[in-house]
Amino acid sequence: MQVREFMNTRIESIDADRSVYDAVEIMVDRRFRSLAVTFSGKLSKTSFDGVVTARDIVFKVLAKGVNPKKVKVSEIASRPIICISQETSIQEAATLMEKSNIARLYVCDGDKVVGMISMLDIMAAELIVRARGSHVS
Amino acid sequence: MFLERLFSSGKKERDVTEKMRRHLELLCDVCSKFKTALENQDRNLMCDVIDLERQGDSIRRAVISLIYEGAFLPFLRPDLCKFVEVVDEVFDLLKDTATYCRSTELPEPLRDECVRVALLNFRMSEMLLSSFDAMLKNYDLREKALAIRIYEKKIDDMKFYIIDEAQKIPVSDFWSGKILSDLISGLTSISDVIEDASDHLQIINISMR
Repeated sequence: MQVREFMNTRIESIDADRSVYDAVEIMVDRRFRSLAVTFSGKLSKTSFDGVVTARDIVFKVLAKGVNPKKVKVSEIASRPIICISQETSIQEAATLMEKSNIARLYVCDGDKVVGMISMLDIMAAELIVRARGSHVS
Repeated sequence: MFLERLFSSGKKERDVTEKMRRHLELLCDVCSKFKTALENQDRNLMCDVIDLERQGDSIRRAVISLIYEGAFLPFLRPDLCKFVEVVDEVFDLLKDTATYCRSTELPEPLRDECVRVALLNFRMSEMLLSSFDAMLKNYDLREKALAIRIYEKKIDDMKFYIIDEAQKIPVSDFWSGKILSDLISGLTSISDVIEDASDHLQIINISMR
């Protein structure tokens, strides 16, 4: 199965200059576990340079007792984002996540980000492959 | 074993299961055609979807007649009929959605996501057929039912995104807005009904053990 079948196309983004508090607000309000980050002020819906995750926010800011209003997203975001093509198999995506120790990959078409695939999507896709009877045991 | 004997014993039973399988094959065919028609904005192919719904209707009638002519034990008949009727509801939804697609053009910002929903609907119909075959062979349906539930959940998530995006699209009048809304509603409800059919299949499977 290719990632194009199971990726999420709903990607929320935030400007790198905004505060971590703003990021928390968006993530809690819209139930996202990560936000794509745009540096250099370009507010394109499909071109991102970094990512900030719930893990980054909790470990790097909240757990340390730092005020999230005083930290910029750019200070804790991971960059660059790791991109794969829509034709990448679920198995390859899982291997890349394991090697890079990350929980989500962005799916790109050239320079354009068209989707995102998370660990949960990988697990769901694996169950479907098994149900189709085409898994390798 | 009981199930295998039950489904392969008499001629009437075999006729019913063959027709039910044909009904599900036709559903896969219609879902595939619908996806291609939506992807290519092919109105003629949408007409095929509408025509094939009638074929689905006639298979449903044939199955129900055979069942009430005496195929299967009486306690099984209502469940089998119900399953066929739920599958037929999917055909009805596909026909209605195809009709909306013929009378409006899908706005560009929604097209890719709607095509992906149509693809997942097709995958769900394939999984339902595979689940039916597994039931005839007395296999466990758990993995297949779970796959169908995962697809349904995925489409549910996509539905909210499509609705969010649709709200940003200006509509010229009431009817164009209503048709677009009904199109989205139909397209994203197909998975709910396929999931109902899958649940029903599992009930049949369990009730006959």
